[in-house]
Amino acid sequence: MLLETHRAEIETILSRYDSRRSAVLPLLYLAQDTYGYLTEAAIREVAAILGLPPTDVFEVVGFYTLFYNRPVGTWVLQVCDDVPCCYLGAEELISALKQSLGIAEEQTTSDGMFTLQRVKCLAACDRAPVLQANLDYVYDVTPERVNALLTNLRARAAEARQRGVSGRFAEDFEWGPDGALTLIDRAAPYRPRQFPAASPPAPLEPEPVPEADAGHDRPTDRKASPL
Amino acid sequence: MGLSEHIVMRELDVPEINDFEVYRRHGGWEAYRMALKEKNPADIVAMVKESGLRGRGGAGFPTGIKWGFLPKGVYPRYLLCNCDESEPGTFNNHQIIDRNPHQLIEGVALSAFAIECHTAYIYMRGEFAAAAITLERAIAEAYRAGFLGRNILGTGFDLDIYVHRGAGAYICGEETALMESLEGKIGQPRLKPPFPAVAGLYGKPTIINNVETLANVPRIVEKGVAWYRSHGTEKSPGTKCFSLSGHVNRPGNYELPFGVPLRELIESPEYGGGMRGGRPVKIIIPGGASAPWLTHEHLDVPLDYESVAAAGSMLGSGAVIVLDDTVKAPHVAYKMDEFFKHESCGKCTPCREGTHWLVRVLHRIAEEGHATPEDIPTLHGIYNQMAGNCFCLLGESAVMPIKSALTLFPEEFEAVVAASRRLPHGNGQRDGKSGPVIPLSARH
Repeated sequence: MLLETHRAEIETILSRYDSRRSAVLPLLYLAQDTYGYLTEAAIREVAAILGLPPTDVFEVVGFYTLFYNRPVGTWVLQVCDDVPCCYLGAEELISALKQSLGIAEEQTTSDGMFTLQRVKCLAACDRAPVLQANLDYVYDVTPERVNALLTNLRARAAEARQRGVSGRFAEDFEWGPDGALTLIDRAAPYRPRQFPAASPPAPLEPEPVPEADAGHDRPTDRKASPL
Repeated sequence: MGLSEHIVMRELDVPEINDFEVYRRHGGWEAYRMALKEKNPADIVAMVKESGLRGRGGAGFPTGIKWGFLPKGVYPRYLLCNCDESEPGTFNNHQIIDRNPHQLIEGVALSAFAIECHTAYIYMRGEFAAAAITLERAIAEAYRAGFLGRNILGTGFDLDIYVHRGAGAYICGEETALMESLEGKIGQPRLKPPFPAVAGLYGKPTIINNVETLANVPRIVEKGVAWYRSHGTEKSPGTKCFSLSGHVNRPGNYELPFGVPLRELIESPEYGGGMRGGRPVKIIIPGGASAPWLTHEHLDVPLDYESVAAAGSMLGSGAVIVLDDTVKAPHVAYKMDEFFKHESCGKCTPCREGTHWLVRVLHRIAEEGHATPEDIPTLHGIYNQMAGNCFCLLGESAVMPIKSALTLFPEEFEAVVAASRRLPHGNGQRDGKSGPVIPLSARH
């Protein structure tokens, strides 16, 4: 029970607000990290601590994207596929991750290690393509870095299980000059990213014109409708 | 048009400025100490009013005037700092906090003193988990130094600052939705009026300001109104931390005075460094996803609220996304509206349904390459039914990408229609049974 295992932390959280209900998000994070995901019992427990009808808490869990009411992997990989990331390699990154992990979006690997999700803007557009692993930012994740990233994350699985998926102990990462994943140096002065000078522009290829009979068979492998 | 001194990104080159002692050695927390010892709250409000500081979250509303809306004699009051930065293209709040958390905390503390409030919350989007830890660590340092807590510096002023993490919802950046979320509810906006200054968090008078806005306050108080107004333009004083992203060589945050031309931000080797691979500029989105688009014709527009508005867009949050000619306008509109559809809170019908249908039609056009001649009036019809009819600005924002795409690049939609015409089954009759798609505009 949360109240027995985390009483001091819960009381600190409650003391910050003039209304107990305000503590629902931090308590759900705590419950999520304690139980791995938000089981029905965990949601009811949070409701009981706050003296709320359980439906109020179920509603909150359903509304916010960072709460999981089903089991997720040790590492939840959330890849931003928004503008501008999607034009700077996010789709290639997602393909590489799907191929390496053998899963599609919203699925978890059979060993329970990784869950893959597409998410909306992560507010790190200058470091595209970008993903979060259990809310640890990892910047500049080009497809070539996927294997190094997955190896690194697998090696830190025990640590991830201890910290949970809610980012209560999050750290941010980038790639060092030696190609290794390194913690962000927050003490360093701000420097914008610099892409290497590129070759002169290649002319755009003309639009492919569909063949006259191309519409006879609508492709079966077309992307699923987002809805 | 360089900047001799940074305001929001102050001490840009100082290592370890995230440390309390280092920030203090560079004059940090001094404005706050001086204000508490020597000034009245009303003095600070007057200074911020005279400085002309405008809210950096998107609306550009004058901060001092907003503070002046608080009803007299009603307590407690709350100060909320909005760090729910989630709109495609925006990323400066995150870096302000990562690099120099004390500057923001000092800004929050000074503003709390000015509006006579004793509890302030910094609402961060849930994904800023590590930044929240950075901020909490810095707040703890400020408590230890006696700058926060009870009877601060012996002046009798009390102040607590708490970090509150959201859990992944863009709508919580809307001020009333933010308050709902902070009250432990789902983030759906409230009807206004009453405005937050009258009835906000827990029904009490509440001021909400953006991270970048509050990060300006220490320097204004320290160096004075005249100094602050010597930056930027008459109507948009100060500097703006522009978040430049997309197909540029040097994406990043650049603090520049208001009024700097777009071209300089994009092309100057000190800032954007030009387009990647030397490709031409196609689409410029100057103020985050909700801003109407500009094109290469607008490269000489000065970046201040009035000039960008005169060019038909808005400066918004100052998040400048620059895309080159490799992107297709229908696809950009599709991705942008997919964002708004995903983030729609579901409270009001025009937004919930409108974003949904925009995405359905755009997905077919942009991802599958199938369009009917009726699709174009249908898209016009959908956004026209949303514009002006949504409960909050999220739905109104979703209109901008599709409206811009249809206005600026109609030929790209028509090209898809023309290509589909050559396809025997590409006539919009989904399976040959359901009949033609009737545009919404034709149903009324």
